[in-house]
Amino acid sequence: MPALVVATLFTIGPLAIIIMFSFLSRPPEGGGIEYEFTLAAYVNFLFQSDFLGNTLFDPRYLRVFGLSFLQALITTIVCLVLAFPIALWIATRPEKLQNMLVLLITIPFWTNLLVRTYAWMLILNDNGIVNSGAQALGLPKMDLLYTPLASQLGLIYTFLPFMVLPIYASLARFDFRLAEAAYDLGARKTTVIKRIILPLATPGILSGILLVFMPAFGSFVQPVLLGGGKVLLAGNLIAAQFGDARNWPFGAALSVIILIMLMIALIGIAWYSRKSGKKVEISL
Amino acid sequence: MNASKNGASTHTQPSTRQIRKPVRALRLRDFPGVAPIAIFGIVFLYVPILITTVYAFNDGDSALIWKGFSFRWFGEVAQNANLLNSVWVSLQIATVATIVATSFAILFALSVDQLRARGSAIATAILTAPIVIPEIVLAVATLGFIRIIGLEPGMLALILAHASFCIPFALMPVRARLKGLGTSYFEAATDLGANTWQIFRRITLPLLMPGIISGAILSFVISLDDFIISNFLSGSGSTPLPVFLFSLIRRGASPAVNVIAVMLLLLAILVTTITFLLAQRKGKQHV
Repeated sequence: MPALVVATLFTIGPLAIIIMFSFLSRPPEGGGIEYEFTLAAYVNFLFQSDFLGNTLFDPRYLRVFGLSFLQALITTIVCLVLAFPIALWIATRPEKLQNMLVLLITIPFWTNLLVRTYAWMLILNDNGIVNSGAQALGLPKMDLLYTPLASQLGLIYTFLPFMVLPIYASLARFDFRLAEAAYDLGARKTTVIKRIILPLATPGILSGILLVFMPAFGSFVQPVLLGGGKVLLAGNLIAAQFGDARNWPFGAALSVIILIMLMIALIGIAWYSRKSGKKVEISL
Repeated sequence: MNASKNGASTHTQPSTRQIRKPVRALRLRDFPGVAPIAIFGIVFLYVPILITTVYAFNDGDSALIWKGFSFRWFGEVAQNANLLNSVWVSLQIATVATIVATSFAILFALSVDQLRARGSAIATAILTAPIVIPEIVLAVATLGFIRIIGLEPGMLALILAHASFCIPFALMPVRARLKGLGTSYFEAATDLGANTWQIFRRITLPLLMPGIISGAILSFVISLDDFIISNFLSGSGSTPLPVFLFSLIRRGASPAVNVIAVMLLLLAILVTTITFLLAQRKGKQHV
C-alpha cells in the first residue's frame, strides 16, 4: 500500500506542480518561477501586449496548436486506415501465425524512437533512397527532409504500432464462428464488417485513437529531426519555453491546455463506455 | 496447404471440428482488400529500419554513399569514448530504475489482497497516465518536480525520474498475471494455514515470476531508450545514450549513427523475443 502511495505521488506530483507553475509569474531574468499568482501565462497564449500597453489578439500560438492538431489528426486517420486491416488480418490468421505477426508489430514498437525517426532521415535525405530513385528515373531532386511532410511521415511511422495493438487486442478474442453464422444467414462481407466486426473493434479503435492522437499532438522528436527548424508543433513550443525562451509559466500553461484536451477525451471515452456498456481499456 | 490450414483452425476451435468445413470457413474469414493493406503496413514498418541496418555495414565515410560491405564503423563506434561513457551512464540509470520499479511491482503484488477494487482503480490510473500524456508534458512536469524538491538536473534526478516512469511498465505484466490467477490459490493457502509471508514467498512470488521478469526487462529497455525526459534532466557528465545519440543525429546522418541505430534495433528484437517467449511459457503452464 505505501508503494502505491509513493507511485501516485510521483505520477500526480509532477502534474500538480505543472498546474501550479502555470498560474505563477515568470522571474524578470526568465527561467524558473516566482511565487506570485497570475493568469499571464494563459493570457499570453491568445493575446499579446504591444508597446503602448494595448492587449491584442495574437493567433501565433493558436496557429502552432492548429498545425499540431492537423498533423496529429492526419496521423490518427492514416494510422487507423492502415491499422484496422492489419489488425483484422492478423486476427483472422491461424493462432501460431498470429503470435508471430504480433511479435513483428511489437518489435518496431520497442525500437528506440530516435532510431525509428532517424531511419526516415536516411530515406528522405538529399542522397537518400527516394531521391536516388527519382534521379535514376530522370526526375529532379526533391527537398523532402526538413519539411512538414517529413514530420508527418515520421509521426505516422512511429505511431502505427500504437494503433494496431489495441485494435488487434479487441479483435483477437472474437469468435469468428459468429461471422460464419452471419454468412449462413445470408449476410455479405461488407455487412459482416459493418455490423459485427466494426462494433466489436470500437473499444480498441477508441483506445488506439487516444494512444496515437495525444502523443502525436505533443510530439517533439519527429518535428525537430524531420521537420528541421520549419515545423513548430506544440511539443517543441513547450520544450522551447523550458529551454531557450526561459518562460516556465507559459510552458506550463501550454502543458495544462494539452492535459485539459486529454481530460475531455477521457471523459468522452468514459461516456461512450457507459452508454454502450463496452469496456474501453486504454493500454497496449 | 489445406491440411495445415485444417490443423490450425481445429486447434483454435476444437469443438466444431465435426460440424463445419474448415477450408471454406477460413476463406470466409478473409475480407477483400484486407490482406494487401495489412502486408503493405507491415512492410512499411520494416523497410526504414532495414535500410538503416544495411547502411550500418557501409565502408564509406558518408552515411548514404555505398562503398562496399564492412564492419569498419562497428569498430570505430566501439572506440568512441563519449559514446561508451553515455552507454555506461544509461546502464547505471537503467539498472537502478529497474530495481526500484520491479520492487514496486512486487510490493503491489504483496498488497494485492487489500486493494482489489480501489487499489486496482488507482493502479489503472497510474498505468494509463504515462502512455496517453504526451511525453514532453511529463518531461517538463518532472523537471519542475525535481526543482521543487531541491534537486539539480544530473544523475540522481535522472534515476528518480526513470524509476517513476518505469513503474507502469514493471507493473503491467504483473497485473495481467495477477488477473489471470484469480483468488483460489491464495484462499487455498490461507485455508491450509499459511501466514502472509509464507503465501507471498511460496505462492505469490513463484506464480508471478514470469510477469515480474517481463516487467523488469521492459523497465530496463524503457529506461535505456528514453530520450525526451532524459533530455531535460541530464547534466554535464551525466549524458545518457539517447541524449548523446540525439546530439549526433542533429548534425545529420552519419555512419556512426547507423551503427548505434542497429545496436538499439538488436536490443529491441532481443527484448521483444524474450518477453514473447516468457508469455508463451506462461500460457502453457497454466491453462
